[in-house]
Amino acid sequence: MKHREKKKREGGIPTDSFSDIAFLLIIYFLVATTLVRVQAITTEMPSGDKAEQAQSEKTPIVNLRGGQMFFNDAPVALQDLEERLLALDLPARAPEKRVVMLESAAGTPYHMYFEALAAISGSGGVVAMVEPEK
Amino acid sequence: MPRNPKLARRKKRRTVPVPTASMGDIAFLLIIFFLVCSEVSQDAADIQVTLPASARVEKAKSGAVARVAIDRDGQIFFNGSRVDSAKDVELGIHALVSTTVSEDQRHVQFRCDEAITNETFEPVLKAIAEGGGILDAVGTKKESTP
Repeated sequence: MKHREKKKREGGIPTDSFSDIAFLLIIYFLVATTLVRVQAITTEMPSGDKAEQAQSEKTPIVNLRGGQMFFNDAPVALQDLEERLLALDLPARAPEKRVVMLESAAGTPYHMYFEALAAISGSGGVVAMVEPEK
Repeated sequence: MPRNPKLARRKKRRTVPVPTASMGDIAFLLIIFFLVCSEVSQDAADIQVTLPASARVEKAKSGAVARVAIDRDGQIFFNGSRVDSAKDVELGIHALVSTTVSEDQRHVQFRCDEAITNETFEPVLKAIAEGGGILDAVGTKKESTP
């Protein structure tokens, strides 16, 4: 009886289209990737006990109330606030003396708070949030 | 018999094959490069936020350990997922920051709609500070007037 001999087939992996697949994947990544680096204001806010220790009567304070900015209880425009903060030369001070308190009255919109935050951190100050009295 | 001068000048045409054998390797190396360098965004695309503007914003230097957002309806999001209160933000940041070793790994990206009032955003800012994060308040660049 004759045994059927199996034909030996040489199985090869087709690699001709690999480069096409790879380039298609690259195109996908190029199209789907968004190279965005956000613009932001970086500031470290002292918290808890640190914030309370940093505050004293001499600590400059920025108030936001009624749609207006106040620096040490005097009304100021944003540009004046920046100039007055720069005049304090905060970067030359010791880290614990760079604190500027930021207080906002109820209903203060974020865009106003953001501008005050930018002015303080831009002049080298450390922002300490003042919590409203309960 | 004299040769035809035109035929004599004709150069032999050589077929120059372009080496394409390594094209696949190069392409896959490029893919690996993109995969390694890409950072998958954790922001949910449907968070509706109008960012505030300032002349003092700068390009963020480092990546963020967490992303916090407050949309125009006052809803708070932590890494793209909605959370109920600022306390959840504090706990989330604290959990992430506690395992970090360098200052660069403490940055928290904060996006807030410009119309949101302080009753909503202040507890979140406090939560970021209490959680040990360094605040990166995201905004748009306002061109300064001369």
